[in-house]
Amino acid sequence: MISSCRLRILGMGRKAQKNDSLPGSLDMLILRTLSLRDLHGYGIVQYIQQSSQNGLLVEEGSLYPALQRLELNGWIDGVWGVTSNNRRARIYKITATGRKQLAVETRKYAKLTLAIARVMGAE
Amino acid sequence: MESAKRSEALREEMQLHLAEKAAELEADGMTVEHARAEARRRFGNVGLKQEESREIWMSRFVSELGQDVRYGLRMLVNKPTLTIVAVLTLALGVGANTAIFSIVDAVLLRPLPYRDPDRLVRIFFNEPGVGLRDVRFSKPELDDLQTRAGVFEGVTPIYEGSEIVTGAGQPERLDGVNGSFGYFSILGVTPQIGRLFGPEDFVPGFAEKAVISDGLWRRAYGADPNVVGRTLRLDNDPLTIIGVLPPGFRHPGPTVSGDAEVFCAFGMTGPPFPKPARGTRNLVNGLGRLKPGLTLAQAQARLTAMAAQLRQDFPGDYPPQTRWTIEIQPLQETLVGNVRPMLLVLLGAVILIVFIVSLNIANLLLARASGRQQEMAVRVSLGASRGRMVRQMLAESMLLSVIGGAAGVATAVGTLRFVLRFVPSSVPRLNEVRIDWVVLAFALLISILTGLMFGLAPAFHSAKVALSSAIREGGRGSGYSTKTGRLRDVLIVSELAFAVVLMVGAGLLLRTLRDLLQENPGFNPTQVVTANIQLPNPNDRATDPYRDVPHRATFDRELLRRMKAIPGVELAAITSVLPSTNSNPNAVGGITNEGFAIEDRPVESLQDLGAERIPISPDYFRVLQASLLRGRSFTESDEDGKPLVAIIDESTARKYWPTGDPLGRRVRFRRDATKPWTTIVGIIRDIKSDGLDIDGAPHIYVSTYQDSNKRLSVVLRTSLSASVLEPQIRHEIQSIDPGLPVFGIASMNEVLDRSLASRRFSANLVGGFAGVALVLASIGIYGLLVFMVGQRSREIGLRMALGARPADILKLVVTKGVVLAAVGIITGIILSACTASIMTSLLYGVRPHDPAVFVVVPLLLFAVAVLASYLPAWRATKVDTMTALREV
Repeated sequence: MISSCRLRILGMGRKAQKNDSLPGSLDMLILRTLSLRDLHGYGIVQYIQQSSQNGLLVEEGSLYPALQRLELNGWIDGVWGVTSNNRRARIYKITATGRKQLAVETRKYAKLTLAIARVMGAE
Repeated sequence: MESAKRSEALREEMQLHLAEKAAELEADGMTVEHARAEARRRFGNVGLKQEESREIWMSRFVSELGQDVRYGLRMLVNKPTLTIVAVLTLALGVGANTAIFSIVDAVLLRPLPYRDPDRLVRIFFNEPGVGLRDVRFSKPELDDLQTRAGVFEGVTPIYEGSEIVTGAGQPERLDGVNGSFGYFSILGVTPQIGRLFGPEDFVPGFAEKAVISDGLWRRAYGADPNVVGRTLRLDNDPLTIIGVLPPGFRHPGPTVSGDAEVFCAFGMTGPPFPKPARGTRNLVNGLGRLKPGLTLAQAQARLTAMAAQLRQDFPGDYPPQTRWTIEIQPLQETLVGNVRPMLLVLLGAVILIVFIVSLNIANLLLARASGRQQEMAVRVSLGASRGRMVRQMLAESMLLSVIGGAAGVATAVGTLRFVLRFVPSSVPRLNEVRIDWVVLAFALLISILTGLMFGLAPAFHSAKVALSSAIREGGRGSGYSTKTGRLRDVLIVSELAFAVVLMVGAGLLLRTLRDLLQENPGFNPTQVVTANIQLPNPNDRATDPYRDVPHRATFDRELLRRMKAIPGVELAAITSVLPSTNSNPNAVGGITNEGFAIEDRPVESLQDLGAERIPISPDYFRVLQASLLRGRSFTESDEDGKPLVAIIDESTARKYWPTGDPLGRRVRFRRDATKPWTTIVGIIRDIKSDGLDIDGAPHIYVSTYQDSNKRLSVVLRTSLSASVLEPQIRHEIQSIDPGLPVFGIASMNEVLDRSLASRRFSANLVGGFAGVALVLASIGIYGLLVFMVGQRSREIGLRMALGARPADILKLVVTKGVVLAAVGIITGIILSACTASIMTSLLYGVRPHDPAVFVVVPLLLFAVAVLASYLPAWRATKVDTMTALREV
């Protein structure tokens, strides 16, 4: 019962994720970011942009539905805290199941990019 | 709540995000406005994103709810028997509640359909010193109320009476209301056509104008829009129609037989009214509208003070021992006060039934929940939260209660008209009964409450089930666990207790009814057929063929001659009122409560001594086979011009001549010194003239040839039925005068029966519910024990293998049932003993703690409980030892 319900949500948004070259990759990026340090929403966007050297442009608004979804799935946990410049914000941290999920997604992603690379290389 | 908090957090997060982005851009050298705009642009549509985020939460909630409902439905479909039993009993419970509540709502709760109904009051003139309430009043007293009291916007007396409408076809008798010219403005009504009475219509006597009801307008005038100005012949008087009332309008008071359809007005100062004098008390039924801003208590205080002042100012008109005073009561209370106890008892009964139904369903569900312990345990161990489990179980119960409730409301809507036919017509405002939003809200509330009631127990039970133990017990079916067992015991005990309360109530009502049916009415009602006649009462006496006693006597003699000539009629007689007709003492005609004085005895009250005066023809007591105790009956020669004679009943004799011999004593009616004395010539055994449940009202019978009314009934002793005689009776009467309406032809037994309609209705209804409660309670016990036997089959098998005899097993199971029944019944008896006194006003000849009822009901329920326990016990002895043991 419960697990089937979760799977349905795992099956994710009925809408395609905009500005995502790969569906679901935003979730993975968020999990990855949070696996390094606890951050609030804006911090996550900043981190992704900086670490991709502005190669990935996240539509910033899309971050929030994604955060809600991840939290609902129990992969991340948001608590009210204070940012580096002393403003009240929800600070997200990754949970144990979130780390497992990150591993799963990373593997899937690796497989996928490898497969794509093979196709592209074969040309 | 939860979702609102979440939305707020999300909004705050997004605002922070935008602010930080803008700050960063500003630091890069953008202007403030540009930075803000750019931050928004990069963020995308804030509203849309918020919505998307919310959708993620909502879709989870919705999908879980959907799942619960689907899962619940599947469970209901998988257990069709349980579902059908639950839905049917719920439909019964909710349906009965909806129907009864719709009546309670219309009759007791909804304000009266007049303008500012809370300012309408009934005005009573009382003489507490001599124990009289609602005595007549005079025109000067009415004027005092209007001008001197300063508390009323308007006051009117009301005469409710029968009117005869003649014209095309059969003459019709209908109910009319006569009031002052302010009657309609007191009630605050607007006509649908024409106008209503106003001060401009004032005449000292009767106005030759009439206002008619919507019903009469449609029936007699084909809804003619130009009806105003047409002439209506009422009791031979030509009246001009000045207006038509709106469809919903009803006269707020008792009428002779139905809704009032003709409204007339009078000035009370000119003929046929006597010259107004303080002591000439000829008016009845005071109705008034209080001035705005006055509370009932303030108005009452002023009226009490005014009454005291009047007593002082006119000592001759108000003898001090009467303590004459004025009382006001909200009109609604006057109208519905007498049916309130019955309706509340009925409402109580249906609420008890719905309790019993939901306890029964709780029991069924709990039994099933126990069977599902394992499933629940597995689900919890797989990560379902306790809250989620409770929600799942509640969703199932709610689903049941919603289906059952919908079925119940549908039943109520479908059968309401049918049910209303059984509601005695003495209940006022029945025409206002309908299933509206208030009633539907009540039905919904009842459904939800029952759903919660029968859903919570199994829900929390299943949530509490300790995982480990249930899983440990494995697939073999857990034993009869103590916790569930106790909960189920409590449910059964409460169910039985409620059933006892209902059955005791039903027992009391049924016993009352049975006693009344066996009551000796003082005469033999079998083989008697009755018919009612109304003589016209025109305002112009000269046109009245029945204007005085001699004229009416001629009619009476002709009527009796023709009645006796009908083949099959042995004897015929005339009376002004049939025994046990629920008469309205203030109505014109019919029974009249008459003041009289006894020779050589001082007068105590304004009303003198009171007795109901009933004019009869000589053979009346022979037709009824009533027994004359002493003296003589009337003869044909007790007529006008001869000495006036009267026959009294035992109650009158006991009340007014407790010591002496009333025979030969003389009384004078209406305290009128010019009237001759009437001599008492006989004493008759009491006849229940006012209803089988009214005792000891004094009656004085007079000869119809010496004193008579415009309303009369014929009684015929015959072996033929009323329906066979009806055409001949009608024909004979109308060959004397084709303008006479003949109505209510029925056997005397039917007439008697009608006086019990309201008691029969409540007794049968509560009795029916008690029967249902008995069945449900026995199903409850039976189900519990069957389940227990199933759960303990291993133990039973083991016991038998170890040498227990079937009798021991039988005892084991039956004892369980008997103990439960005993506890439930004793609890119920205590509850009933505490609540039975509520019903006192509905009982007659039976005390609320009637020992017979309090013994028979528990015994009956106990016997049923034992029987219900015996079947599962017998089944337990058939447990196959080997199978049971192999399961261990």
